[in-house]
Amino acid sequence: MKEIKIAVKDLNLYYGEKQALKNISLEIPEKRVTAFIGPSGCGKSTFLRVLNRMNDLIDHVKIEGDVIIDGVNIYDKSLDVVNLRKNVGMVFQKSNLFPKSVYENIVYGPRINGIRDKKILDEIVERTLNQAAIWDEAKDRLNENAFSLSGGQQQRLCIARALAVEPEIILMDEPASALDPISTAKIEELIHDLKQKYTIVIVTHNMQQAARVSDQTAFFYLGELIEFDKTTKIFTNPSKKQTEDYVTGRFG
Amino acid sequence: MERLLDEHIEKLKRRVLKMSSLVDEQVQAAIRSVETEDLTLAKEVIEKDNQVDKYDNKIDKICQKIFALTQPVAMDLRIIMSSLTINNNLERIGDIAVNIAEYIIMINKKPPFYNQTKLESMFKVVKQMLKDAIDSYVEGNETLARAVIDSDDNLDKMNFDNHKILIDIMKQNPDNIEPGIALLVMSRQLERLGDHCTNIAEDVFFIVEAHLVKHKYEKYLFDDDKDENDD
Repeated sequence: MKEIKIAVKDLNLYYGEKQALKNISLEIPEKRVTAFIGPSGCGKSTFLRVLNRMNDLIDHVKIEGDVIIDGVNIYDKSLDVVNLRKNVGMVFQKSNLFPKSVYENIVYGPRINGIRDKKILDEIVERTLNQAAIWDEAKDRLNENAFSLSGGQQQRLCIARALAVEPEIILMDEPASALDPISTAKIEELIHDLKQKYTIVIVTHNMQQAARVSDQTAFFYLGELIEFDKTTKIFTNPSKKQTEDYVTGRFG
Repeated sequence: MERLLDEHIEKLKRRVLKMSSLVDEQVQAAIRSVETEDLTLAKEVIEKDNQVDKYDNKIDKICQKIFALTQPVAMDLRIIMSSLTINNNLERIGDIAVNIAEYIIMINKKPPFYNQTKLESMFKVVKQMLKDAIDSYVEGNETLARAVIDSDDNLDKMNFDNHKILIDIMKQNPDNIEPGIALLVMSRQLERLGDHCTNIAEDVFFIVEAHLVKHKYEKYLFDDDKDENDD
């Protein structure tokens, strides 16, 4: 059994008066892929954002409970949020590259962290583009504007950029939902490779994608965690009727 | 919510049911042809086998279509996987009905020592097992499925007894050998028929509870890491 990377205990989240997450407790093992599934509005993306405190940026959000990453409660007041987000990287549904070159997009984070040596930055660019399986396509285009890449390439560049600051956890919010099947397959293969080194948490509407890429799956409904188990179990013989109804397409 | 998949599954179930009743009729007719020495009926059984084969193909085709188009999971997946194996078992039962019919044609009529064997009792047991196996599938009834599995040992024992009885009879007179072997083969075929009914009953457990009861041991699917990591 893998070590626990993220432990969430009794987590409640409110948007003003409305409670969006209800008493969530779960443990995410390291170097595995964990998928969150559930119908729109079930709280899965909100919960993903809890894991690197992205909800801090939203007004009137109140969070109760503990989120422990490597033994540290990330909601502790003394915690450095910038450091947290360095350790817990994020990839979004739409690529959010800077209007800069491929090279500059990747070295942006490392530079902020104080790396100035061109040789080291070059190495980071090559390593992360390789890890994100886009080196062969991008190596001759490092100085081109990142927006000149295709949608699938841009999304892999986002992943490379997230890897450049050497996180241990990568959160992905619908990373392939805007991509064609070939690009989607590349992202899925990439996720599979990345779990050798990283803990990955992915939110997806595509249940077959969750089934293909993840080791365990959490099913959320109306702000509650209904079931969390091995992906094979969730998709062959879920314990809860609500899960069965959702994965077989009876509702949602 | 009505799903597109429900339409496919309903159609699949209808076909498995049709196949079941065809095979049940074939077994009933084959047995009756032996009991009443009705060779015309036996020939009908042989001729009708192509209808069973046609349904076998139809069921395979619809399962293939469902897998390709809908990527079923959970209960849906188990229904379709089981329908494939149930179909396979029904097709084999159909073949057994044909074999029984062929043997009665071969020996023309029951030999005088027929009543010393346990074939009549075996006929009764397999008819009930097949009926219960089909009903347990239709109703998702685990009690009936369990009854089928439990009957199998009895059938095995009767087949074993028949071996001893028929060998003794054949030893007494060389003229007994040909009809004796025919009855021996029938007995063995009935024992196999019971095995196929048992397989169907085991699939009912798999559909209803995701519970594998094959090969006389019980365990839950995907319960341990070892199971998944095995080749």
